[in-house]
Amino acid sequence: MQETQAVFFDGKTAGRIPVTVSLGPDRLALFITGDGLPEPLRWPLGELRGLHSDGAKHQVILTLRQEGDDELARHTARLVLEDTVAKEWLLTTRPDLFRKDVPKGTMKKIAKFTGMAVGATVLMLFVILPAMANTLAAIIPIEREVAFGKTVVAQIARVFGGVGIDELTCQGEEGQIALQVMVDRLTENQDMTYTISSRVFDHPMVNAFAAPGGQVVVMKGLIDSADSPDEVAAVLAHEIGHVESRDATRNALRSSGSAGLLTMLIGDFTGGAVMAILGEQLLSASYTREAEGQADEFALEMLQNANVSADGMARFFELLDETYGESALPAYLSTHPVTLERAQRARDFAETQSATSPVISDSQWQSLKQICD
Amino acid sequence: MTSPLTGSASGDLNVNYNGTKKEMFGLAFKTGMLTIVTFGIYRFWQKTRLRRYIWSRANVGGDTFEYTGTGLEKLLGFLVAIVFLAVYLGIIQMVLFFFGMNIMVDPENASPAQVIGQILAIYISFFAVLPFLLFAVYRARRYKLARTRWRGIRFAMEKGAWGYVWRAIGHGLLTLVTLGIMLPRQTYYLEKYMTDRSHFGSAKFEQTGEWKKLYPAMKHIAIGLVILVGAVAAGVSGSGALAGILGFVGYVWLIIGSIYYSVHSFKYLTNNKTLEDVRFNADPSTGTVISKAILGAIIITAIMAAAALIFGLVMGLFGAFAQEGGSPVILIFIGLVGYLTLLVLAQALSLVFITQPILAHYIDTLTVLNPDGLNMIHQREADSNLDADGFADALDIGGAI
Repeated sequence: MQETQAVFFDGKTAGRIPVTVSLGPDRLALFITGDGLPEPLRWPLGELRGLHSDGAKHQVILTLRQEGDDELARHTARLVLEDTVAKEWLLTTRPDLFRKDVPKGTMKKIAKFTGMAVGATVLMLFVILPAMANTLAAIIPIEREVAFGKTVVAQIARVFGGVGIDELTCQGEEGQIALQVMVDRLTENQDMTYTISSRVFDHPMVNAFAAPGGQVVVMKGLIDSADSPDEVAAVLAHEIGHVESRDATRNALRSSGSAGLLTMLIGDFTGGAVMAILGEQLLSASYTREAEGQADEFALEMLQNANVSADGMARFFELLDETYGESALPAYLSTHPVTLERAQRARDFAETQSATSPVISDSQWQSLKQICD
Repeated sequence: MTSPLTGSASGDLNVNYNGTKKEMFGLAFKTGMLTIVTFGIYRFWQKTRLRRYIWSRANVGGDTFEYTGTGLEKLLGFLVAIVFLAVYLGIIQMVLFFFGMNIMVDPENASPAQVIGQILAIYISFFAVLPFLLFAVYRARRYKLARTRWRGIRFAMEKGAWGYVWRAIGHGLLTLVTLGIMLPRQTYYLEKYMTDRSHFGSAKFEQTGEWKKLYPAMKHIAIGLVILVGAVAAGVSGSGALAGILGFVGYVWLIIGSIYYSVHSFKYLTNNKTLEDVRFNADPSTGTVISKAILGAIIITAIMAAAALIFGLVMGLFGAFAQEGGSPVILIFIGLVGYLTLLVLAQALSLVFITQPILAHYIDTLTVLNPDGLNMIHQREADSNLDADGFADALDIGGAI
């Protein structure tokens, strides 16, 4: 390396010291000399480290490796080289120049902190928040839950139709009576905590949902694709199961806690919101799969008490499987358990039933099918 | 650019920024993609590398700044913040949601008072995190200073985040109650609180001046508000067209006015900062800031529109392929990857065309006066008692840099 001019900062004061840098006679160290230095400095090549600047290539800043209090494990002195020849020489002969010197115990520290953070998060997501949601869902007064449920239904109406509840609700009088007859028959032999208020939304989606406080909504698409009223009754019974076990309320409470937590966990990087939504989906899927199974059992019992055949339920699940079965979404992403298994469970149950009759009459079924016309 | 070899002979030191669009874009896009594929974990290193680049491209009299923060310490700081915030936020959010639910009213027959109560309950959850947001603001600035060096000497900021929290809440309330009249007081005293605790090596920064001197910076906000009042008056007296025009003009004036306020309050506050004998002169211009922002927005919009078009075409192509028996999973996957890539592109472009040019303008118009005193300043100890942006990151207030 040729002798070259540079600027030196001694790391003790903010004064700039012009210096001359050269390779020592033993070729093992840089010699730094200048009028501003009390004595010439010898920087061993093996200890030399360059500062990362991530792209700024007009200069190279050198320092020395040093264990201690310094946050970078570097000496505080800095040597600024702008000479391109000297820079090239350093970069080619010193492969360790930009090496990271990770302090001892770093991995242990990372493991410890990660463990603590993961532990706290898991404890919150899977123990504390669900337990709190259970407790709170049990002590909320029913009339508040009903009011909350109405707000939820209104919001869903806005999402699906961009309109208010009344505009999206099908108003056919005969159809509404038929739906009520169906609900009455399902609930009359049942110990009910909630009064079920059911409605049909004029929307082509094959779906139904239960909002907190007894609000059950069936989409028109589900009625259209059903072959018999028993299939709709099975879905209704399933949703009533959700209502009675307060699943929607519990889920809303739980996700109010966990959604905030997940967003925080994933942080403010670009695309973080997408990740947070996916995370919340996965999380709620793991809860709802359990709740779905319980709602199925509740529905079977309800059908049994109402003397309605569970065959409708089996047929409906098979229909779902035919329509959506080929979508290759992994089962754990879907909020519903594998439908063929559920169909089989309903089919087995139906075989044990006797003296069943269609849930509503043929003419009532026809009115229900025309509820939105 | 002044060469570090010659330095400046005597007199004032110019502050310069010479980052390039190309380097910044390459770094921002590369680290953005790394952040996506590591499910966000790389973001601590992304922030570190972006800062390291910006710091290394800014210089005072030819001597560049050095950013010594590390991705690792940011990750650790974040993990610590998580332990605390997971417990606090999870529980607080759910309790507040529960109370919100408990005063939930039937939307069909609610009185206005009940509706207002409900809205309040929803927004109160914001106030539960507000102290931590303010805490994070102070801590983030302290961390940034503690990891900045110039001429090898460390900057630093003293502890005092909780003092900042209650002052910020108090000043904020006062500004709210006085309908913004006390905004200069808030701006001045909060900046003074932070400046008076800042150090460069052995030297201490001080915020001099007085808060009432910030009122001239408010003038365009005031004009905008007067026009808006005029719009309301016109609306009440029945001239709808006039109200519409005045409303629009007033709104735009108010936005420009608030940019004017941020530029000119920065200028006044910087010109009245001292570092022992050293003084500063800032001269940013509102017009330049606004025109750079608008120009940047136009360029970004054009590039993003082109990128979205290409993305749409690719998706269409794969959509056709999926219809012929291909798996929809591939389509969903490509859609997600494409969408995330577009987000990273947008972030990188906004750094390149908005953040960096405006930052460059602020830096280039800054001068250090009477710099001889700098030579006498001594080194200070490293500050290890930091949360390294952990709270700021957990609470989503960090931003890209």
